[in-house]
Amino acid sequence: MSDAVVIARHLNKVVTTSEAPLQILSDVNLSIQRGSSVAIVGASGSGKSTLLSLLAGLDLPSSGEVLLAGQSLTALDEDQRAALRGLEVGFVFQSFQLLDSLNAVENVMLPLELAGRRDARQHATELLERVGLKARLSHYPQQLSGGEQQRVAIARAFASEPAILFADEPTGNLDAATGQKITDLLFDLNREHGTTLILVTHDERLAARCERALHMQAGQLQAEQAV
Amino acid sequence: MNSAPLASLAWRLLRREWRAGELRVLLGALLIAVTISTAISFFTERLERSMTVQAAEFLGADLVVSSGSPLPDLYAEHAQNQGLQISRQVGFNSVMASDATMQLSSVKAVDAAYPLRGQMRIAEQPFAAEKTVSTGPAAGELWIEPRLLTQLELEVGDALEVGYASLTISALLTHEPDRAGDFYSLTPRVLMNLQDLEATGIVQPGSRVRYRLLLSGEDQHLSTYQQWLETRLEPNQRVTSVKDGNRQVGRALGRADQFLGLASIAAVVLAGVAVALSAGRFALRHFDTSAMLRCLGLSRRQVMRLFLLQLLYLGALATLLGLAFGWLAQWGLLQLLRELLPSSLPEPGLTPLLVGGATGLCALLGFALPPLLRLGQVAPLRVLRRDLAPMPSSSWLIYGLALAVLSLLMWQFTGDLQITLAMIFGGAAAALLLGLLAWLLLRSVAGKLHNLSLAWRLGSGELLKRPAAAATQILAFGLIFMSMLVVLILRTELLSDWQDQLPADAPNHFALNILPSEQQAFAEQLEQIGARSAPLYPVTPGRLVSINGEPVRQEVSKEAEPDGQRGEQDRGTRAINRDLSLTWSATLPPDNQLTAGQWWSDSTPDNAVSIESELAESLGVGLGDELGFVIEGQSLSAIVTSVRQVEWDNFTPNFYMVFAPGVLDGLPATLLTSFHLPASERASLRGLTRQFPAMTLLEVEPVLEQIRGILKQVTLAVEYVLVFVLLAGLAVLFAALQATLDQRLYQGALLRTLGAERTLLRRATWLEFLLLGLLAGVMAVVAAELATWALYRFALELDWAPHLLFWLLTPLTAALLIGCAGVWGTRAVVRQSPMRLISRGA
Repeated sequence: MSDAVVIARHLNKVVTTSEAPLQILSDVNLSIQRGSSVAIVGASGSGKSTLLSLLAGLDLPSSGEVLLAGQSLTALDEDQRAALRGLEVGFVFQSFQLLDSLNAVENVMLPLELAGRRDARQHATELLERVGLKARLSHYPQQLSGGEQQRVAIARAFASEPAILFADEPTGNLDAATGQKITDLLFDLNREHGTTLILVTHDERLAARCERALHMQAGQLQAEQAV
Repeated sequence: MNSAPLASLAWRLLRREWRAGELRVLLGALLIAVTISTAISFFTERLERSMTVQAAEFLGADLVVSSGSPLPDLYAEHAQNQGLQISRQVGFNSVMASDATMQLSSVKAVDAAYPLRGQMRIAEQPFAAEKTVSTGPAAGELWIEPRLLTQLELEVGDALEVGYASLTISALLTHEPDRAGDFYSLTPRVLMNLQDLEATGIVQPGSRVRYRLLLSGEDQHLSTYQQWLETRLEPNQRVTSVKDGNRQVGRALGRADQFLGLASIAAVVLAGVAVALSAGRFALRHFDTSAMLRCLGLSRRQVMRLFLLQLLYLGALATLLGLAFGWLAQWGLLQLLRELLPSSLPEPGLTPLLVGGATGLCALLGFALPPLLRLGQVAPLRVLRRDLAPMPSSSWLIYGLALAVLSLLMWQFTGDLQITLAMIFGGAAAALLLGLLAWLLLRSVAGKLHNLSLAWRLGSGELLKRPAAAATQILAFGLIFMSMLVVLILRTELLSDWQDQLPADAPNHFALNILPSEQQAFAEQLEQIGARSAPLYPVTPGRLVSINGEPVRQEVSKEAEPDGQRGEQDRGTRAINRDLSLTWSATLPPDNQLTAGQWWSDSTPDNAVSIESELAESLGVGLGDELGFVIEGQSLSAIVTSVRQVEWDNFTPNFYMVFAPGVLDGLPATLLTSFHLPASERASLRGLTRQFPAMTLLEVEPVLEQIRGILKQVTLAVEYVLVFVLLAGLAVLFAALQATLDQRLYQGALLRTLGAERTLLRRATWLEFLLLGLLAGVMAVVAAELATWALYRFALELDWAPHLLFWLLTPLTAALLIGCAGVWGTRAVVRQSPMRLISRGA
């Protein structure tokens, strides 16, 4: 376990509702090796997206602890977690989350610019070429198809060369054929950059391409099955 | 990440946002704010300067120093060193004699520089065509008033002796600029050259002479000089500036100033509403950006800084553009008005640019900052859960900041703390109350919705689903309409006030020295020539010598009073240092109002007198005090039984002292009246003067004309600023509406995909916006009434009455305007593909 890049210990997440407290996660423990690919699968409402948000430091557990790249997230404040994210983490979302007011290349440039990279435009252009969008550099998100938007999002996620890439239903908004291409792209880039890939999906085929699959059910992690 | 790259990143992001069209509404709103306040400030300043110049004509100068003894040469020398123009004059009374008769006249000896401001008019013969001249008579010559020529039975070209000097009457003086401020002086004017003064031998030590030093020049030099002078003034020396000049003009200018100041505030409120709404929209549309930036590693503070920097850049841009537009707008306005304005308007100073710039920054801080602060509160988790919106900023923060900024701007505009507080507290209380009312109304209606038709339910649904949001919108639109309404109401009130002040048939002549035996005949004659006359008042000259047995204070002690009290002190000073026109009347003169005591009744003491209120105040006299007079050598004492407020501006005979009938019996008296004679009937005056040779006729038409000219300009300014505010209001209305449309477009598109027909959507949209407009209109009119009431009561000192017509018109107009604008703004719902709208709104 020496090279574990993400470790979760006794994670619990409880939200208070108007009726009774709702236990979304209960006692989740896991450890993910650097460079591996892991799928978190489960039905809607099983708590898999909540787990992702806790692992990525977007939210805090009610109890338990997450170690991300060796840092305990609970020990950091929100701004320190943000800094850690900027350094180590990339995201790909189901709804792409591109900024409408920026065109394709500017969206990819954003993390590079935030990191103060002078060659942001050049690097972003190369990344977009790599994901097959050479002809779409100056298109705005509205002018791109869903598959194209997700390619831009993937290019953006890899731009800062993160150690860990979190993907939330990356093919959820795409048709099967496009989803397949996006999946290929995601795994290709993952291999090329040696990134740790953690993705949430209910697409069994996508999960099958990962080295490990963690099954969530009613907020609990099921015993791991060999893939 | 340190701040330098953040600053440049903010700039790059802003440029990208601009290209994507995200910022146009916000920039537009800011631009309107800066443009309006710059334009109004420019326009006001230039017009004000121009009107001051005209008001200066009433003095013949910008500043006058006067004294009963010769003024030190240092005063003139220092003025010249300061770059000021100077003119010296000496005034005294002297008896003019011809073979036929004698007449006490008011002589003024002037140098070649006189007048420094304004011009004189002269004529060759009485009632002949006039000629405008800008220097006085040459040495050896005299100009006299036409009535003096008639009285002395002389002709132009005849010689007239002034003291030991014999001078030739070379023209008739029909108008001198600085006579206007002093038209109550009854003796006819003789104008001569200062060079001849010594030859007259009249000015000897101890003779009653008034020395005047007239000054003109640039504001800055004048005020420096005035400060220098104040420290050196002897007790018997007096300074008169334009502000102390003519009462009518001063009042009109003061009111116009207040109006223009208020119009600027209305403009800022308008722009503030637009800025707030569009900044709110900007914030709403950038929640995702904020969340994404946090995912990409920016801290809360860095995100905030990024957006604030963008806001600052945008503000700077809007300010620069707005200043340019504002300058252009006033320039265009002045071009349009060129015919009606004085030929050379003074160049504007830099103040308007500062005002405009400050407005832009304040509007940003007060109205745009609070919504943008929310951007720093967005949780990064929003990237996974879109429904996570940040907590709204504290309403204390939002409204507190906006109010503080508004107060500051208003104070700067009006320079009047009272008017500012009246507006702010009136406005805030009204807004709060009405917002609450709107919210309650919407909530109570919400429960009864299910009985309505689908179009009604859809139309009102948008407002009722989120009463708080709807109340905010109603408040915003209400504020816009209220601002426009207040300016409109005030303008109407001001114009009618000015009209009342100087109606077309305001008396343009005074007739004095009418003998009691001629009273009947004179009244009949006036009627015959078509003159409209005020009552005839008996007048006996007399001097006030004591109050409750104590001799009245002397001039010296009065004029040594500090500056601020000078105006009021002057009234008292003047009153006790010259003969007062004493009159008696059985009835209270028209336009007079009792402020204390009772008008004559059976219980009034025999020796009762009624005193004018301002004089009473400056003399410290009240009811029951005993006043001592000397009239024609006889002493007389009278008890004050009432205090009257007098309309000094109405060009009819007004009196400081009105005695009860009988008190002045046995004392010699002549009669005094004023009347209006149309210009076309002027020729009949000749007959009047011939028929009543003892009568003195005083023409005040030139004064009236001068005042009317200034009022006309002020009126124009007010009208144009009104148009400006109304246009700005409409622009802001559209901008504000635009900022609220996103959600509506999305919902409309959704309904269409669900199969809603276009007619249904159109009906629902109409209903929604009509309802919104109607509520905003009702709110606006209530708030405007409250605001004007507060303004009239506490700042303008006008009588307030409800404006019933506006109660009807405002809600209707508001409903129609917002209805049309809203339907137009959402026309995409029925015209575009719903898919496009949904993908945009999602």
